[in-house]
Amino acid sequence: MKQRASKTVVIVGGGLTAGLIARQLTAKGCEVLVLERGGDHSKGPESSLPNQRDELRWAVRQGLIQDWSRETYTLRHQHNQTALPVRWMESFLPGQGLGGAGNHWNGHLWRWAEYDPQLRSHYERRYGKQAIPADMPLQDWGVTYAEMEPYHDLFEKLFGVSGQAGNIDGKKLPGGNPFEAPRSGPYPQAPLHVLESGLVFKQACDKLGYHAFPQAAANSSGAYTNPDGQKLGQCQYCGHCERFICEANAKGSPQVLLYPMLRQRKSFEVRLNTQVLGLRYDAQGKRATAVHCLDLLTGEEYEQPAEVIVLAAFTMSNAQLLLHSKIGTPYDPVSNTGVVGKNFCYQVNTGVDLFFKDKWFNPFLASGSTQILIDDFNNDNFDHTGLGFLGGGTIQAYQFSGRPIKGRRVPDGTPRWGTAWKQANADWYAHSMSLGVEGSCYPHRGNYLSLDPTYRDVYGRPLVRMTFDFRANEQKMAQFVSGKMMEIARHCGADKVGSLQGLVVPFDSRIYQTTHIVGGTIMGETPHDSVVSPHLQHWDAHNLFVVGASVYPHNSGYNPTGPLAALALRLGDDLLRYLQAPGRL
Amino acid sequence: MPHSVDSPSSAPATASRRVFLKQLAAASGSLPLGQALAGGTAAALLLQAPDAAAATTKAPVINTVYGYESFGPDEAAFVESMLNIMCPADAHTPNGVDCGLAIYIDRQLAGSFGQGARRYAAGPFLQGAVQCGPQLPLTPQQYFKTGIAEADRAAQRLHGQLFDALSPEQGNAFLQQLAAGQIQGEQLDLGEWFNSLVYPLFCEACYADPLYGGNVGMVFWKMIGYPGLPATHALDVVNYLGKPYPGRATPKSIADFS
Ligand SMILES: Cc1cc2nc3c(=O)[nH]c(=O)nc-3n(C[C@H](O)[C@H](O)[C@H](O)COP(=O)(O)OP(=O)(O)OC[C@H]3O[C@@H](n4cnc5c(N)ncnc54)[C@H](O)[C@@H]3O)c2cc1C
Repeated sequence: MKQRASKTVVIVGGGLTAGLIARQLTAKGCEVLVLERGGDHSKGPESSLPNQRDELRWAVRQGLIQDWSRETYTLRHQHNQTALPVRWMESFLPGQGLGGAGNHWNGHLWRWAEYDPQLRSHYERRYGKQAIPADMPLQDWGVTYAEMEPYHDLFEKLFGVSGQAGNIDGKKLPGGNPFEAPRSGPYPQAPLHVLESGLVFKQACDKLGYHAFPQAAANSSGAYTNPDGQKLGQCQYCGHCERFICEANAKGSPQVLLYPMLRQRKSFEVRLNTQVLGLRYDAQGKRATAVHCLDLLTGEEYEQPAEVIVLAAFTMSNAQLLLHSKIGTPYDPVSNTGVVGKNFCYQVNTGVDLFFKDKWFNPFLASGSTQILIDDFNNDNFDHTGLGFLGGGTIQAYQFSGRPIKGRRVPDGTPRWGTAWKQANADWYAHSMSLGVEGSCYPHRGNYLSLDPTYRDVYGRPLVRMTFDFRANEQKMAQFVSGKMMEIARHCGADKVGSLQGLVVPFDSRIYQTTHIVGGTIMGETPHDSVVSPHLQHWDAHNLFVVGASVYPHNSGYNPTGPLAALALRLGDDLLRYLQAPGRL
Repeated sequence: MPHSVDSPSSAPATASRRVFLKQLAAASGSLPLGQALAGGTAAALLLQAPDAAAATTKAPVINTVYGYESFGPDEAAFVESMLNIMCPADAHTPNGVDCGLAIYIDRQLAGSFGQGARRYAAGPFLQGAVQCGPQLPLTPQQYFKTGIAEADRAAQRLHGQLFDALSPEQGNAFLQQLAAGQIQGEQLDLGEWFNSLVYPLFCEACYADPLYGGNVGMVFWKMIGYPGLPATHALDVVNYLGKPYPGRATPKSIADFS
């Protein structure tokens, strides 16, 4: 196969993490090549008015999402079942094109709990070793929050995050999240406006003694210039954020803040429409030598050698590239050996709708992150003694859009069509709001990724097979936290409270939940329990690094992007060190 | 409530459908709009005010696009009857066909969605957990058409008539049974067919931008008070916190900015 000239650092995938790593490296003149399967969205109808505001095209028909005819995943709930391909995925929506899912994300930005990177030690310390079930392979990450803090801070400044700090250097601040990990400073911008739904929720929480605060957001509350001189506009509360690209450049996104700048830098190159099919691996030398590429415009296949290869292709592709290229030992749940594919986790979601005859919520006046929430029942922010489960979730009053195809609420018992259906839509569209739980999902021995024995992608490679279900721990947790949510719902003063929309079990690919799939190439302290080291360096190939949510050994009750962005920035700095003296970091 | 789907019950089924198609354009337009809304909430009354006033002075905008790209005559008759049952002409909107819902579905099925764009289509096609989604070697258009043929045969079996010849009440009951999974198909799971393909298309037809042929005159957006484009609300979010938003009565769509 044809070989192209070798590059210093090659990054597979051109999304959020790739852009952050490239920022660190190219600032020091290091040569970086990014390989991205999709194109450039910045000039198309997806980024311009009026077509940007097309719910059918972008949100329903998934115009910015991975092309399922080319690559999809198979699913089974238990490892003794035969997996079937998900022919049209709804539950999670990986991105495609320069900027990745980081363009069409919602923008909620979290630092996880201070103890999240030491979750196993934390639980053992608080509840004893036996508190963690044998089939729940929680593990410490091998990095601490304190080590990540400067990178969190940098990322928040780069992405112009709007929020209310709750904890600066250990000092608790009113109006913020009292459970927040200590920050070195405030958010770069003031929080987003609070909507009517947030006011209703906050009042109920105040009554109940819970601590409501505004979501920190990469949706820009004002005009903003970041430390690189890159600019964000002010959020227009247009209600077309998640699944959409912000035409007002008001959402912190790689397409706005990273790639235009990187493309000006001499040592940076990006190749679009370049599908990476696998890696070339020298098992003896413990090195990844090259990337196997397919140019989607010409059909040409070639090898791209590199000194350093970084997988930044999102959870599923990261795991797939390692499994397919036979780098590292695949995880086997029966013998409980191997690591690649292990600890695949998702996220718990439940909800309830509230209806108020006389309140105007105007659901279409919204940004991607206009929500008020509490962290009181998340993770281990409350005592789990005697509860029979671990973990928890945030409870929020969210209002992200009033898009009419998917974003209407009607009371229980409303007919599905006819005049009464129309009447209910007319009556309640502007007069309803929702609460939701976004909860943790801890690893289970039986939840993992592997290669499917039957189904193949359009390039002839085996599809990634998900063996996944929400297990007893998550089901119990969902029930408990949902109970708290329903309690708040009953204190909101609604004329009608809908019934609980509980955790959907078995896991259902037909329902959107979140795109927070994590694990599969997890980080840890030893090669026995992890794929990559605390420096995200592959244990079996010292010049190969993996970044993104795939390195999380568990999913917390938060959105994923904060810590993975911090780890990506840190990796950029680590790679500069590595290049000076290649070897184990 | 008068119903433009009504066809003479004495006429043979096929003939009635042909007659019906011809009558369609003529029947459109004579619709009972401006009736008081049935609901009694403050919300409904406030929302209704500007619309009701407009309705008494202006005839409603209705679909003016005729001719189908993917439906044959029998399919068109089925779909039109179904949509006029699911969306009867009433105080809120003209009937489903006049709202452009049939044109919407026809065009979606004829286009990339109907041809299975971006959907994984490789075999084998095995049946298993429903949570994996449908496992059929059919494009959405083929699935839609196969379902119509099966549903029509079921109507014939249960009522001795094709679906479009049923009275609106019978037709509605038939659709309710379909949605509840109570009507067995020969090869297809007709409940799954209705709920995973037909019903979502119906909702999209009502609420998508009129660019795609449905929601003619933004009638559904007006009904619920969705203001549409351009949605630059940085000031509105402050000024209309907890208050009715004036733009809800006069939505704008993609065409208004093109
Ligand atoms: C609808 C939605 C809403 C979200 N909302 C939030 C939120 O509110 N808060 C939050 O914290 N997170 C959110 N996320 C998640 C967030 O987008 C991700 O955490 C973030 O983008 C991860 O960055 P990444 O670089 O790992 O992946 P991405 O940004 O997705 O980049 C991966 C890139 O790799 C490319 N790629 C994959 N495989 C290959 C291959 N074989 N060859 C070449 N290129 C390849 C893809 O095309 C993609 O461009 C959301 C995600 C979605 C989809």
